[in-house]
Amino acid sequence: MAGFLLKRLLQALFVMVAVTLIVAFAIRLTGDPALMLTQGSAAVTEADLERIREALGLNQPFFVQYLSFLRGLVSLDFGRSFIGGTPVSQLIAKALPATLSLALSSMLIAIALSVPLGIKAAVARGKWADQLIRICSLAGLSFPNFWLATMMVLVFSITLGWLPPSGMSGFSSLIMPAVTMGVILTATNVRLVRTAMLETLQAQYIMVARAKGLGERAVLYKHGLRNCAIPLITWFGLQFGALIGGIVVVERVFNWPGLGTLAFDAVAARDYPVLQAVITVLSLLIIAVNLVVDIAYGLIDPRVRVR
Amino acid sequence: MKNGFLNCFRGLLATGLWLAAASLAHAGGTLTVSSAQDPGSWDPVDTYLVAWAAVATNLYDGLTYRQPDGRLVAGLATSWETLDGGKRIRFHLRQGVTFHDGEPFNARAVKFTFERLLGDQGSKGPQKSNYAAIDHVAIIDAFTVDFYLKLIDPVLLTKLAGYGAMIVPPDYIEEHGEDWFNSHPIGTGPFKFVSYEPKVEISLERFEDFWGTKANISRLDYRFIAEPATAVAELQAGRIDLVMPPGVPIGMVGTIKNKPELEVVTAPGPSVYALRFNTARGITRDERVRKAMILGVDRQAIIDSILGGYAAPIASFQSALSFGYDPDLSPLPYDPDLARRLLKQAGIKPGTQLRIDIRNNNASFNEAVQAVAGYLQMIELNATIKLYESNYFLNDIVPQGKTGELFQQAWGGWTFDYDNTAYFMYHTGEKWNPYDRDAKLDKMLESQRMITDRDQRQSALRAIAKYVADHALELPLYNPNEIFGLNRRVHNFTPVPDSRLRLNQVSVD
Repeated sequence: MAGFLLKRLLQALFVMVAVTLIVAFAIRLTGDPALMLTQGSAAVTEADLERIREALGLNQPFFVQYLSFLRGLVSLDFGRSFIGGTPVSQLIAKALPATLSLALSSMLIAIALSVPLGIKAAVARGKWADQLIRICSLAGLSFPNFWLATMMVLVFSITLGWLPPSGMSGFSSLIMPAVTMGVILTATNVRLVRTAMLETLQAQYIMVARAKGLGERAVLYKHGLRNCAIPLITWFGLQFGALIGGIVVVERVFNWPGLGTLAFDAVAARDYPVLQAVITVLSLLIIAVNLVVDIAYGLIDPRVRVR
Repeated sequence: MKNGFLNCFRGLLATGLWLAAASLAHAGGTLTVSSAQDPGSWDPVDTYLVAWAAVATNLYDGLTYRQPDGRLVAGLATSWETLDGGKRIRFHLRQGVTFHDGEPFNARAVKFTFERLLGDQGSKGPQKSNYAAIDHVAIIDAFTVDFYLKLIDPVLLTKLAGYGAMIVPPDYIEEHGEDWFNSHPIGTGPFKFVSYEPKVEISLERFEDFWGTKANISRLDYRFIAEPATAVAELQAGRIDLVMPPGVPIGMVGTIKNKPELEVVTAPGPSVYALRFNTARGITRDERVRKAMILGVDRQAIIDSILGGYAAPIASFQSALSFGYDPDLSPLPYDPDLARRLLKQAGIKPGTQLRIDIRNNNASFNEAVQAVAGYLQMIELNATIKLYESNYFLNDIVPQGKTGELFQQAWGGWTFDYDNTAYFMYHTGEKWNPYDRDAKLDKMLESQRMITDRDQRQSALRAIAKYVADHALELPLYNPNEIFGLNRRVHNFTPVPDSRLRLNQVSVD
C-alpha cells in the first residue's frame, strides 16, 4: 500500500508540474496584464505600461517567473492578484470550500437520483418505466446547464420567491446550483447505471442467487450493485474532474464565489498568479479524487486487494 | 415534553423578535446595489475600473467634485485660482473636515495624497499617468496648497474630482500600511467602510460627521454580480434595489419594465462606439470609399432597432457631454444611392471583400456591427466580421496595425474631454493610431493643449472633430445610454453618466 501511495504521489507531482507549466506558458502567449489594468486607456504611455509590468514582475524571463511561482507553492504562498493585490491564498481559501460544497452536493444529488433510477430501468428493461427514464435522461442531456439554471431562477426565485436567485448565503442558496449540476449529471449517470446493471444481471452468479431463492431486493442490491460498482465508481471519479470544469458556468449564473468564478475572471484579466493557483488547486483536487477512487476499489472488490 | 414546548415557544418568540428587528433595520434604510466587478483594492492609486469608482465615490472626496449634471463644483477645496499663466493652481481647503477615523483633513493630507500617487506607490498602479502634469504640491499654510505643474493640463481640475486624486488619510496609511488600506479604505466621503469580502460584497454605512449633505440611508451594500441576467434576477426578486451599468443589457429592459415595482432609469453614457478605417491599406485608403461606407449605413435605424433607442447618434468620436462636442456638426445622412455612386467613382467593383475586426465582449455592439455588414452588403461590399478576445485585440491587433479595413473603437473617458481620446487616436505615432500620418492634424492636436482659454480651446477641439469628420477617418456609430435598473422603493435617484454615483441624497421606503 505504501509503495502504491508513493508511486501515486510521484505521478501527482509530475502531473502538477506539467499542468502548471503549460498553463503558465499558455496564458502568457496573448495579451498583457498591464494593458488590462489600464483598461486600454488612451492616456497611458508605453513607459507607464513598462513601469506597471516591472511592479508586477512581468519583465523577468519566463522561467524566473515560473520558478518563483513554484517556490511560493512550497510555502503555500501563491503571490498576489494583479487586480488589486489581494493575496491569492486568501482568495483560494474562500473559493475552495465554496466550490467543494457545490461539487459534492451535486455529486450526492446525482448519485442519489441516478442509482435507483438506473436500477429501476435495468430491471424494467423495455417496459414503460425504462422508456420513461430513458426519455427523461435524454431530455436532461439535451438541456444546456445555463438554460436549466435560468429556468429554475425564473420559477423558484422570481415567480415563487422560495429561493435566492444567486449568492452564497446559507443552505437555501446552495439548492438551485447543486440541483442544476446534479440533474445534468444524473442524465448521463442513469444510462451508465442501467447498462452496468443489465450486464451484471446476466451474469451466472445472479442466476445462482436467484436459484438459491434470494429475494429480488437482495439479488439487486447485495449481489448486483456491488458487482457493478467498480465501473460506476471509476466513472463518478472521472466525472468529478469534468464536473469541476462544468461548474464555471453554473457558478457564474448563480454568482457562486467559487474557483470557477475566480478562474473565469483571472483569464479575462490575465491575472496570472490567480489563474496558476486555481489550476494548481484544481489539479490537486482531481488527483486526490482519483487516488480515493483507486483506494475505494480495494475496499469494494477483494480481488483488487489480493493483487 | 413541557420543556420541549417551552423551548419551541422561546424559539418562535426569538424568531419573531428577530424578524421585527430585521424589518425595522429595513425601514431604517439599507440600499443594496449590484456592481459588475470587484476591483480587488479600494486604494485610489490601484485601479482604472469604473466598478471601483461606483463604490469609491461614496467613500472619498476630491479637491473638486463633479455633479451628475457635469458641473464642476467645490469639493474638499472651497475655491481655487490659476496662477503663473496656468502653471500653478492655488487651492483653499475646506476646514473642519475629518476622515472616517477622526483624522483631520488638511494641507498635509493633500500633499501626502499626491506624493503617494506620483511616487513609488503610484508607480505600481495605473492612475499615475493621468496626473503626469503635476510636478509637486507645496503647503502654503494648514489649509492652502499650491499645485506646481510641469505642463498645462486643461482637464486637470476635472481629473481632481475622481479616481487617483481622491484624498487619502496620511496617518492611517502610515500606521496600518498599504495592504491594510487596500481592503480597509478610509476617506472623507458621505459613507464609511464597514466590511469587505473579496469577490462577494463591500458594505458601507452613513458617516455621521460628513461635511456635506449627510446620507439619508444608514447602510449601503454593494454585491459583485458579473452576470447581467443574474443581477436582473436579483432585482426582480427584490433582493437588490439598484443595478449599476453595465448590469442591465438592452434585451432585459423590457423584463424590468414589466414589473410594476421596478423601473429603468437612463442617462447619456460616457462611451462612444465607432468603426475606424484602416487608412493605410486596402480600399479604405480612399476617402470616397470611407464616405460611401458611412453614407451606406443607416445608423439611426441601428440605434432604434438594436439598441432600443437607448443611444444617440454621433458625428465625431465623442458624446454630447464631451468638451469639444459641436451641436452644429451633424453626422452624414443615410444615402445608399450616393454611397453607390461614390464607390463607382472610386472604381470599387461590386462584391469587393473587406473585414471588420471587433472585440467579443459586447453583445449589442456585436449585433450592431452585423447590421453594419448588412448595410454594406446593400451597397455591394461583402464584409466579414472577425471577433477577438479583448486583451488580444487591444494588445496584438490594433497597436500592431494588423486590423482589417474596419476595426472597433470604443472608449469612454470619464473626464469628458475630446482631447482624452482624439489625441491618442489621431496623432502620428500614438499607440492607438496605427495608420494615419497627418502633419496638419498633429499640429491641431498639439496646439489645443497649450490653450488655457476655455472658449478658444473648445473651438480648437471642434475644429479637430470637423477635420476628422471631413476626412472620414472613422464610421461614427453611437453613444449608448447608461441604463440603471431600479426598485421603486428607492427615491430621489439621479442617474450619472459615468457610474460615479454618489448616494447620499437617495432614500428608501
